[in-house]
Parts: sequence; C-alpha cells; structure tokens
Amino acid sequence: MGGVILISESKEQDWKDIVHRCFRCGYCKFTADYSDFNCPSYKKYRFETYSTGGRMWTIYGLISGEIPWNEQVSNVIYACSTCGNCMENCRFERFKDFLVDFIESARKEAYIQGFCPEKQKVLRERIENTEMFNPYGEKNSNNEALKKQYNLPDKAEWVYFVGCTSNYRQKELRDATLRFLKKSNIDFTLIDEHCCCSPIIRTGQTDCVKDFINYNLLKIRETGASKIITSCAGCYRTMKSDWRKYDDFTDIEIFHTIELINDFLKENKLKFKSELPRTMITYHDPCHLGRHMGIYEIPRNILKNIPGVELIEMERNRGNAWCCGAGGGVKIGYPEWSVEISKERLEEAKSINVSLIASACPFCRTNLNDANVRYDMGFEVLDIIEIIDQLDYDVI
Amino acid sequence: MQVDLILGKLEEIVEANFVSNRMEDLYIYSQDPGASLSRQVDYVVMPESVEQVQEIVKLANKEKIPIIPMGGGLTLSGLVIPLKGGIVMDMKRMNKIVEINESSRYALLEAGVTSGQLLAYLNKNYPELEPPIPDAPPSVTIAGNALIHGSGYLSQKFGDHGSMINGIEVVLADGDVYKFGSCAVSDYWFTRGPIPDLIGLFISSFGTMGIITKLSIKLFPKHKMRDIVFGLCKDPNVLPELISSITFSDVAEDILLGIQDKPDWMKGYTFIIVYITGDSEEELNDKTKSLKKMYRKGNARYMKVPKQIEEIFLEKPQFAAKAADFRKGGGFEYVGAFIPLQLIPNLIQIGTEISLNHGIVPTLGARLIGQGHSAMFFISYSFNRADPKDMENARDALHETNKAVLEIGGIPWKAEVEGQKLIMEKMNPNYKKLLKNIKNLIDPNGIMNPGNWEV
Repeated sequence: MGGVILISESKEQDWKDIVHRCFRCGYCKFTADYSDFNCPSYKKYRFETYSTGGRMWTIYGLISGEIPWNEQVSNVIYACSTCGNCMENCRFERFKDFLVDFIESARKEAYIQGFCPEKQKVLRERIENTEMFNPYGEKNSNNEALKKQYNLPDKAEWVYFVGCTSNYRQKELRDATLRFLKKSNIDFTLIDEHCCCSPIIRTGQTDCVKDFINYNLLKIRETGASKIITSCAGCYRTMKSDWRKYDDFTDIEIFHTIELINDFLKENKLKFKSELPRTMITYHDPCHLGRHMGIYEIPRNILKNIPGVELIEMERNRGNAWCCGAGGGVKIGYPEWSVEISKERLEEAKSINVSLIASACPFCRTNLNDANVRYDMGFEVLDIIEIIDQLDYDVI
Repeated sequence: MQVDLILGKLEEIVEANFVSNRMEDLYIYSQDPGASLSRQVDYVVMPESVEQVQEIVKLANKEKIPIIPMGGGLTLSGLVIPLKGGIVMDMKRMNKIVEINESSRYALLEAGVTSGQLLAYLNKNYPELEPPIPDAPPSVTIAGNALIHGSGYLSQKFGDHGSMINGIEVVLADGDVYKFGSCAVSDYWFTRGPIPDLIGLFISSFGTMGIITKLSIKLFPKHKMRDIVFGLCKDPNVLPELISSITFSDVAEDILLGIQDKPDWMKGYTFIIVYITGDSEEELNDKTKSLKKMYRKGNARYMKVPKQIEEIFLEKPQFAAKAADFRKGGGFEYVGAFIPLQLIPNLIQIGTEISLNHGIVPTLGARLIGQGHSAMFFISYSFNRADPKDMENARDALHETNKAVLEIGGIPWKAEVEGQKLIMEKMNPNYKKLLKNIKNLIDPNGIMNPGNWEV
C-alpha cells in the first residue's frame, strides 16, 4: 500500500535523499513468479526507461540536473497507470511503499515546470470549471433529483459518495448502489459532491485539491454524517488515503460498498432469495482497491456467497493482478493503449472460460467494457453491486 | 552518415517504436547499477529477430559505428556501457524459449530470455528440470550470464554456467549468422563437440567477438527435496581443506561462503552454506549427518539457523541485490575473483583489509565451482549513488582489489575495463597476440563493443 506523508508534499531535497536508493534490479517489472512482465508501461515501451526503476533513475536525473524536463521526459513520467505492481514486487523494504508516490510527485513537478501533458490538463480544467466539478466535462449534478427520487433526507448517518464515474458514466452502477442502500435501510443521503480529486492527484495537478477536500468534507459534515460509503475504488482510496495527507480528519469513517455487503453477510443479514443462472465469474482486482488498499478477499467472499456463481481465478490475481489500464491518467492520456491493456486482461479471462468479469470499480468496469466492445470479446462486465442488483434479496 | 540518417535506417529495420536516440533513453542506457561513470550512448535499438540483428550489424559495420549487445544490463561492471559511443542493442525482445529437450536436457533460448522467465517456464511445464540461474535478479538473461562465465545454482556440482553452453548462434561483424557446437552439424543443440570448439571465443569476451542471438544451455534433474546445512568456522585457514573434503564427498549441490562484519554476530566467522538435495527425507538426513561430521573434523561446527534465514537462502533466485541496500544508497559492485581453493584465506584477509581501508563494511563471500576446482570469491563494496565521492571510493577499492587478486594468482571475473587492462598486463604475450589476430580477423573494423579487451 502507498507510502504516507514522506513525500506527499515533496520538496526537491526529499526526493534526492531517497530516490537514488533504487538499484534498478528489475523485480518491479515482473509477476510474482517472474513468468512475464506485469508492468503495463514496461511491457508496451520495452526500453528500460519505462520500468519503475528507469523512472526512479530518470527522476534522479531530473533532480540532479543531469537531464532537463521536456515533453519526452514528461511522457516517461506520465506513461504509467500507477497500478502499484512495482510496489508489490520491489524488494527494498519501506522504499517500495513510495514508488507510486515518487511518480506522482514527479508529475507534480512536471505540472509546475509546465510539462503536464495537454490531455491530462483537461482533467483539471473540467474539475475546476464551476459548471462541472467533474473530469468528464458534464454539467454538475447536485444530486437533488436523486435525493428526491429515492426520498433521501437532508441529515443522515451515512453519505453515499457517488463519484464522478458512477454519476456521469456508470449510472446503472450508481442506481444499483442506491437501490441496495435503500433496501438495507441504511440512514443515508447524498451531497452536492465535487470530484474527489483522484484524477488530478494521480496526474500531479494538486494545487486545488485542498479546496475540493474542504468543500466535500464541509458538505458531508452539514448532513451530520459520520460515515461515507462509495462504490468507487478510486474515490475510496483517494478519500481514505490521499485526503488524509491534506486533512487529518478523524470524525468521518470511509467504507467501500463491498465492506458493508460483507458485514451483512458475516452478520447473516443479507439473504438472497433468488439465484443467478449458473455463471462462471472471474474477479478483476482494481489496483485502487487491491494493491493500493489491500482489499482482496472481501469481494471474493461476496461473490462466493451469491447463489449460482462459480468464482474462477485468473492466473494473475490479487497483488499479482494485471491492471485494467485506466488509472493514473492513462485512460485520458493514452486512450488506445489504455484499452489495449484491458484487452490483455480480457484475454486472460478468456483462457479460463468465464462469461462474466466482475469488479468493484466503475473505472475498471468502463475500461474493461470498452475493450470488450472494441475487440468483440463477448463478456459481460459488471460491478459486484450490479450482480447483486439482478437478484431478489432481503437485508434484515 | 548523419545522426538522423542512422536513426532512420535503424527505424527501417526494427520500426520506430524500438529504436531511440532520445535523451531520456540514452541517459538510462549510459549507466548501469555498478560504480562505473556514465558514458555516451548514441542509439538504443531492440531487434526482434536474427534477421534484424544482421541488418543492424551490417549497418554498423558499413558506417563503422560501435555496437554493444545488452542482456539484463546487470553485470555491474559497465560491460554494456559503450566505451566509444555507438549503438546499444538491447536483446529483450528476442525472448522466445525455442525448445526444451527433455531427454537430452537442454534449453534452446533466444538471447533475451530472462532467468526468471526460464525458471517460471520450467517450474510450470517441466518441473523435473532445473536451469542454471545466477545469484542475480530475475531480469538477467540466461545467455548474458552464461556468456560472462557466470556462476550460480548448480555451479558446485556442474561447473560455471559458461561451461554449460551446448551451442550458440552468433551474428559476426560481417552480418552473417554462424553456429557453434553440435548445432553446426546436427539439428540437435546437445553438445559442444566433437568438433573444434570455438564457443570459448565468445565467453567472457563481452560482446567483442559477435552478437549471440541463440544459446543452448544444459538443464539438470531437479530433486524433490532441497535443504541447507549451515556451518560456522572461526579460522579461515581451515577452509580450503574443509571445502575440499565436502566437494570430494559429493553430498553438496552448491556451496556458498559468507564473511560479513555486519550484523555484529557475523563478525569474525565464515559461514558455510551447503545446499543438499535428494528424493527422500532419509537421503537428506544422511547428507546432513555426513556434513556435520565433516564440519567437526574440519574444525568448524554445524549451525542451526532460524527458518526465515533458511528461506532467504532457499529462494530462487537469491536476492543478491540486497547488497545495494546495505547503506540505503542504491549501489554496490564487487570484484568476483576466480581463484583456486587454497587462496580463500588470503582473499578473506585482503578483502577485509581493503574494505576497512576504504571505510566500507567488509562483505565477502564465495561460490564454489566445479566440485572444488575453483571458487568465485567476491568482495563487495556498497556505495551511495548520490555521492560521487563515495562512488569514486568504491571504484578505487575495486581497482585495488583487482590488483591484489592478480598478484596472488586469481583472475578478476567480468572485469570492468580498468580490470581488463590489469589482466592483460599479466597475460601471456602470445595469448594476447592470438586474441588480437582473431579479433582483427572477425571484426576488422572494430565495431564489436570496442575498448574491451583491447590489446
């Protein structure tokens, strides 16, 4: 999981004191058993420059002044989905926890130096646009219509933080979550949320992040809520990990929907009354939820408890999973490559003869499905909450 | 020819995505993780086929541009950093496992196959076969390791990994493809003879003779069980006889020695790490008993170690790069000297003294090669990559060690260019003359990793 504080507000000297510790041994490139390269960037570009070790050395070169910033160097820093495979496989204790932080810090520097790529800059422009506040360029939804539709109160114990991807691109996932929460009799509401800032944190455009965190926390506190729940792995990681680098808040707990579902299962509160037609399912670990937050077994436990589901693992799973290719600004910065990365995941799923790929991240769902459609792979790609939504169930 | 024209020609051969003269790529390829200073690289190219290698070599030969083949790039001694500029040919796209011959036990590999890749492939598909892999990260290539007289797993029993080469396919400076070993006569890449054996020309010549595109390496039976029997010895002078007796008994698959001043409890001792293998508990127990007896008889003693330490040594490949993290500085390089067994005590003393003189914590060790015929003895110097003076200190220590090794009768292994010069000072003049003549014959324009082994 990601490192904390050490370089979160990096100063040049902080990097210099640490980054050269990378020996460039290359463990970061591999799967756990070394059978293949598991770093999407290295697998595409193949130059050593595009391994995480290469990036660490490039960053050191930038700090030491041996190489200057330019657009090509910026590409080295940005052509990475920040999936965290390197953190999983690097052998240098503690140092490994900061590898993605180094890359994100280098992106901050790129932004300051004027070398944040134009495509990624759009994320910030849209998020800061007062008509939008989201990276998709959609008119901001203040969620009032949804509140009305679901008869949600102004004050509640929980806030469902929908997240921009679910609210503007994966509305089925959002609606399935709303129906589940409603059926669970959870005391929850919605806020006029603005982006959690994951896209701009990942791409180094962080100077407005604090304002967004302040705004969202204020809106949450106005409801009297002490708990946030989200179905978005990206929002979950950002709120639970990154927000706390900016604001050490302790009055609000953060949950992913799957944690709530799992608790219901453990307490025997969730009763399925119907079952799926016998379905061979595999689970794709979102990097935000898996390698970055250490959640691997909860989604699997849920899927195993769904009647009709036969869960089959892909060869690369859990900490060893192949990234979907959407994160770290890659989806917007390198749209073709991003879908190619997902294609590799779908091919892996194909080899185990499953028909449905489940995940717990709307961004993974989007990208996997984009590849599914582009390459006519014939899968059903669904979020866990959407699978549950297909069933008849009670929460008692 | 102008730079952009060379670039264009290379792009025509391998496509644009796999050739670069971009500053950021040249920066990375101009240095390795060892203590060498960075040196100029003009292009990096990644061929995918032997035909592409041929075309690149023909271009380099025509334009008289140096060409430097690179495997994993982890020799640490700067062997793939050009000495006279030129094209670094990164072989990683040539990564096909062409054939595993189960009955004759060999693997035919393209030059870019990594040790991790082969290890994983065999574990999955041929679990009864074991590859020779070095004590190095999984990103090193099997070909690169064998072609520098590398050692590692199975070296005690079967020799250095260079001796495990059955055959090679090479592109020489004229751009033609040559085959050496049984593959020159037969479809089987099963042995080096029985024809004049020219393969040795390409081992430890560091790419100065040609570009190896394929290599056949021996595989070995993998026993069901593997364990380690640790020994502890206070007096280094007893080591040659003790090691000799262990190798004579044939119980050891591999033998390592470790001598470190840190952590404190290791100071003043030599740790003997003997790998045993077998197909039953009984077999392992018998070997353990034999070793305990030999330790006692040889003035050493058996040492029981915690499970977690055992696991570190049983990992394949071992995490040897941890030496780079001893000082949290990201760098280490070592002199690995090939020595006869009787020189082990001398090198323990020499290595310790040189380390202490340079303010570096002594970290020494050895791997036995070929059932007691020799050892690769390493004296490792960790440094802080961000401190140029510290790197210079490491380079000085390495140079001093090379000199000392040669003085007592050892030979530095995979020596960096300064070490090569020291070796050649001691080299038989007629050996040098012949080496030069052969080199001039097969590479008249001197394009193959020039500056190395330059007579």
